[in-house]
Amino acid sequence: MALSPLAWAAGVKPGMRRAGALMLAPQARLHERSPELEAQALQAVALALLQYSPLVAQGEEATLLVDAGASLRLFGGVRTLCRQIAASLRALGYTAQLSCAPTARGAWLLARAGTRRGRTLSMASLVRRLDRLPCALLPPARPWLDWLEGIGCRTLGQLRHLPRPGLQRRCGAAVLDMLDDAHGHNTELFVWLEAPPTFRASLELFDRVEHADALLFGARRLLQQMTGWLCARQFAVERIQLLLAHERGRVARAPTVIDLALGEAVWRDEHLVRLLKERLAQLVLDAPVIGLTLEALQVQPMAPPSESLFPEPGGTPQERQRLLELLVARLGAENVLQASPRADYRPEAANQWLPLPAKPVSRSAAPDLPPGLPGMPRPGWLLAQPIALLMREHRPFYGSPLKMVSVAERIEAGWWGQSQARDYFIAEGRDHAHYWVYRERIAGSAEDAAPRWFLHGLFG
Amino acid sequence: MQHSELMAAPEALHPSLWRASQLGQGATRCLDTGFAALSAQLPGGGWPSGSLIDLLVQQPGSGELRLLAPALAQLPGLPIVLLQPPHPPQALALAAQGLAPSQLLWLKSAGSKDALWAAENILRSGSCGALLFWQSHVRADSLRRLHLAAQGGNTLFCMLRPLHGAQDASPAPLRLSVRPAAGGIEIGFIKRRGPQRDAPLFLPLQPPSLLRRHATLDRPVPAPASARSILPELVG
Repeated sequence: MALSPLAWAAGVKPGMRRAGALMLAPQARLHERSPELEAQALQAVALALLQYSPLVAQGEEATLLVDAGASLRLFGGVRTLCRQIAASLRALGYTAQLSCAPTARGAWLLARAGTRRGRTLSMASLVRRLDRLPCALLPPARPWLDWLEGIGCRTLGQLRHLPRPGLQRRCGAAVLDMLDDAHGHNTELFVWLEAPPTFRASLELFDRVEHADALLFGARRLLQQMTGWLCARQFAVERIQLLLAHERGRVARAPTVIDLALGEAVWRDEHLVRLLKERLAQLVLDAPVIGLTLEALQVQPMAPPSESLFPEPGGTPQERQRLLELLVARLGAENVLQASPRADYRPEAANQWLPLPAKPVSRSAAPDLPPGLPGMPRPGWLLAQPIALLMREHRPFYGSPLKMVSVAERIEAGWWGQSQARDYFIAEGRDHAHYWVYRERIAGSAEDAAPRWFLHGLFG
Repeated sequence: MQHSELMAAPEALHPSLWRASQLGQGATRCLDTGFAALSAQLPGGGWPSGSLIDLLVQQPGSGELRLLAPALAQLPGLPIVLLQPPHPPQALALAAQGLAPSQLLWLKSAGSKDALWAAENILRSGSCGALLFWQSHVRADSLRRLHLAAQGGNTLFCMLRPLHGAQDASPAPLRLSVRPAAGGIEIGFIKRRGPQRDAPLFLPLQPPSLLRRHATLDRPVPAPASARSILPELVG
């Protein structure tokens, strides 16, 4: 029987009967123990732990053994590594007992004993701690516990000092083997876990979730597993898909799909968490969600980061790409625009702004600009719609009468589509602000037909 | 003796000390404005990067882009973000000032909350060369927050607001007003680390024209009309 901390606080104790527990905590939920779910949870944790070391093995009695001896320098020491693993486990939503020791069996025994601060680094202190542990921790010694207690042998230290041939004859070789493993006299052999070739992880939510931003917690758990998988396979992910499974009502509902395509492949989850957070914040759910599935659709081999000797001003291109992806995720792709002028005489056709490409384009694809650009009268602001100007005393009027201060620039183009025939002028108002105005030339009419003036730009 | 020397030149003690009659010389990095007359009036000799610059503009189209363009052209290859501009910006006009179109990013946002979020994230990431942010109403605590975010990086951060915001307090160390004037623009110094200056600074800034028929004067001065020089029938 296992308890949540809340149930513990309500006074429920292990070994209580169902009715007694329900009397103390009427709102408690009782679950049957399910071996499949436990195995799945252990598998999920093992996958997440692969980000710390490729050597992860499953031990007896719901334990995982990680050989981190080779990567202690990388993670900055045992303490930091333990802290990071504990944080990963918290993100996954599980509680665990962490311990580390020079031998795997020693660490296993310390973890099973549930001692606080189960960290030993030297063999001598491990032996001291092991000697104090009770005999019942050794699985092969459990059938002989009564006998061992009868001869006054309660701790592993006392067990170790018994004569070996007699102990082997009475209890079998397994007890001695395990003791030798713990003390480093034997070489331990493990079956290391293999990461699956493709990644797809699912999570059932405990409740029906109606607000999309509450799903981030579940998504973070799945991302944690994906990080472990990516590190183990030496992959970086380019495209992921999060499927939100809906409750099946009268009609089956297709799951909502969140597709994240990245310009720059990543294998750490911070950036993905930020992107998913913005995407989920914008999502409006039309039905409650009961499950999440995360899939890595496109992966590529991990490229090691290349560090330059001197940091570039303004950050690396990867950082820039990450910022742009974040902006696109929150504001929408149609609101993050990049200038890409087109070769066209008509100003509104030439001033083209396009959404960012999914992949950063190389410099060679830069648009060619018209020759003689620096002298061309082009205003900084181009109005989205030209404003028809009032006429007062045969002069266009915008706030004040406008005075033309330049010669006309005739633009006549677009016969294949929207034909335009305009004379553009720079005009100056009474407040000395400059405007870009044009006179529409109507085909077939004389020059002195009543001219129609429009305001098209402001010189910002 | 040494004490009196120190009292004579206290500004030599620390770079962030200055006399009320002198321009401050903060340790911040500055970008040259491209206008010698303006650079001489700014502490540090240019636009300070990594801090909030408040530009109060009489109306969109007062010459604010042409004022900033020479400084922006000194950031080759870095993105220049135009956040919530009042009108669609024209890439050709900015390209004529030396800004590559691939640098220019135009961000539109649905509300001011999104815009402030975007501005803060751009400043925090520090991977953009410049951020020009148009916002008409902004609360003082948001300004302070943006100023703090800007100090973490080296981004040239300019906030462009209407002229009536000049009365409100702002954490920006540099606040200028921009008004169009005959033949250029007039820059008023609302706040700077230096002596108070009431007279606006005139910068000649003409829009590019296909053909200049007249040589530009520094300032067009109205010709004094002497008595009897104008025919009475013209006046009447």
